[in-house]
Amino acid sequence: MTAAGPIDTTLVAAILATGMPFAAFVGILLLTRGWPRLSAGLSMVAISVSLLSAGFLLVKHWSLARPIEYSALWVAGGDISIRFGFLIDPLSLLMLLVVAVICFLVQVYSLGYMAGDAGFSRYYAFMSLFAWAMTNLTLAHTLLQLYIFWELVGLASYLLIGFWYEKFSASEAGKKAFVMTRCGDVAFFLGLLLILLHLGNLNITELNGPAAGRLSPAVVTAGALLIFGGIIGKSAQFPLLTWLPDAMEGPTPVSALLHSATMVAAGVYLFARLFPFFSLSPTALGVCLAVGTLSMLIASTMAMVSRDIKQVWAYSTISQLGYMIMGLAAGNYVAGVFHLTTHAAFKALLFLCSGVFIHAFHGNDMYAIGRQGGRRLRVPMVCLVIAAAALSGIPPFSGFFSKELILGALADLPNPLWVAAGLLGAFLTTYYTFRLTFIILFPAKGGPETGYSEDTRHSHDSGYRVMVWPLMVLAGVTVFLGFGEGEIARFLTAPTGATAGPSHHAWLPYAALSLCAAALFLAWFEFGRRGAAQVGFVERIAPLHALFRNRWYIDRAYRWLLDHVVYRVFSRLCARNDQKVIDGAVDGLGRATAGAGGLLSILHTGMVQYRLIVVFVSVAFMALYFFV
Amino acid sequence: MDIPFGYVLALAGIVVVLGMVCAVARRNLIMILLGVEVMLNGAAIAFIGAALRWQQLEGQAFVLFIIAIAAAEVSLGLALIVHLYHHTGSLNPEDYKVLK
Repeated sequence: MTAAGPIDTTLVAAILATGMPFAAFVGILLLTRGWPRLSAGLSMVAISVSLLSAGFLLVKHWSLARPIEYSALWVAGGDISIRFGFLIDPLSLLMLLVVAVICFLVQVYSLGYMAGDAGFSRYYAFMSLFAWAMTNLTLAHTLLQLYIFWELVGLASYLLIGFWYEKFSASEAGKKAFVMTRCGDVAFFLGLLLILLHLGNLNITELNGPAAGRLSPAVVTAGALLIFGGIIGKSAQFPLLTWLPDAMEGPTPVSALLHSATMVAAGVYLFARLFPFFSLSPTALGVCLAVGTLSMLIASTMAMVSRDIKQVWAYSTISQLGYMIMGLAAGNYVAGVFHLTTHAAFKALLFLCSGVFIHAFHGNDMYAIGRQGGRRLRVPMVCLVIAAAALSGIPPFSGFFSKELILGALADLPNPLWVAAGLLGAFLTTYYTFRLTFIILFPAKGGPETGYSEDTRHSHDSGYRVMVWPLMVLAGVTVFLGFGEGEIARFLTAPTGATAGPSHHAWLPYAALSLCAAALFLAWFEFGRRGAAQVGFVERIAPLHALFRNRWYIDRAYRWLLDHVVYRVFSRLCARNDQKVIDGAVDGLGRATAGAGGLLSILHTGMVQYRLIVVFVSVAFMALYFFV
Repeated sequence: MDIPFGYVLALAGIVVVLGMVCAVARRNLIMILLGVEVMLNGAAIAFIGAALRWQQLEGQAFVLFIIAIAAAEVSLGLALIVHLYHHTGSLNPEDYKVLK
């Protein structure tokens, strides 16, 4: 259904928003690789156009009544047809704007962070590739289109994690992320096939509409669970969560963009995208809720013992994504999506602040950063505290509003276990967030504040100034976004006509806030107090500490599984098959051919003159036959 | 014309058979090449005789082509033989049975 009118501004804006980064990607790779500044400029122009288009779309459709679709037929065969196009509804518009804003800010920030890197052009090319894939993912019209860009986003993630590929750990981490997310994507693809076979097409609107009601409940449950497998992989949920902490090997802006704010949120976005479809299957929702809760709790315990500043935020990302999935699975669409939006802002802010510290002190260890005087960097420090408060859910920052919504949704469930888990998660979140903040803010006495003097500050000055203003923008968003809760909820629910909002629980904010305060006090007592030992209560209990530090032995379990099951059994069987069956067949064929040739060669004398005689004699006989 | 066409054909036949025997019987690559040349000349004699017999110029034109081709063939063949001799040190066709 093509839209009426000679020039449809919505369509043009959508094409611009999704197409420009690709143009930049191709342009940089083909033309401007040798000119880093030009490449960065190209990429920035493209993402700016995307950002403006996204903003324009959101403003234009702020009171959107029903989703707008543009599509063209792409594959038609038998009774299966697949269309390619744009689906514009509040969810995709909101996500598009989030992606464009974070991409833009991170690219600005990278001007300072990546300055002087040998792969500067390559970096911006990959950034553009990512922006292209991600914007197309958000506006995808069919699940297949979404899947294609989903994989492209994974590719961009792989390329950017392994950006410093000379470092062995970085290329290993890239591979690990690629393979682990691929495990989930296989499930996702099987789910797509299942739905395609039973429904005949993969239109998102159709899947969410009444058509899906015709499917049998078993198919819906199986399809939803398989697609959720993809979400588990992409959003690093249990049990595929260990790739995300390793993904922090990439440059910090990449971590901020891909591995906290946008790409990993694509999993949650897919869940929200297919929310009506998932709602058809209570079983699937139950599984999602359990997985989300488990990931949320496990990841926050891991964050309690990590010393690496980026790893803490990586664990916290997993745990916040778990929160979003819990919110969605509890049946509150707005809660999950709103937390996705606020999280994108404050988590990007946290990462970018950490990036400034890492850039200045050349290390990821939070104790070292604290000792070397991290608090003297005023702007990042203030921003870090704001974002930490938002992450912990302290009013009036944005995290408070979205987390309250999710907790409210959990409290609506009949089983009080879920809301208890949510509150426990909130407690742990506050604890580990402020553990890190206090360690940097109040370094232990004794060590001299070395490393960062006024001189080095000046040498960093130009980059520092470029890096600081995205921080301030994001901090502003973090402070004020929470107050837009009502508006965003109205915007999101307008087309569906559903009324948002869980029933009111008066006790809930008090419970959550008192837990936050308790955790804050605990963190202050252990890390912030004058003369505190800066050793957390978890670190005093050795077995617990070991468990959390080793990531609950999940990686160890995978290693064991690989060594003992895959390598010992499957690989050996495959190798034997390769050697005996395949090699044997090929060798046998070759030997048989050679042998047959040897047999036939008995007929030959190998002497050219005998053959000549044969030719002459046969010609003579033919002449006799024809002419005599 | 005094010489009957039959004589010319007989001469041509004799030359061709001589060439054939040379190509088949002599155990030397150069002599094989020579035999082939002789056979070509026998064919050329037959062409000339036919051209005279029917008073047509095409036969003579063909002979010119045959001579040209023969020259080219000899140069190529000799070059090959020289190369082979460099490689193996032998001109005996019985030594060239790599493919057997």
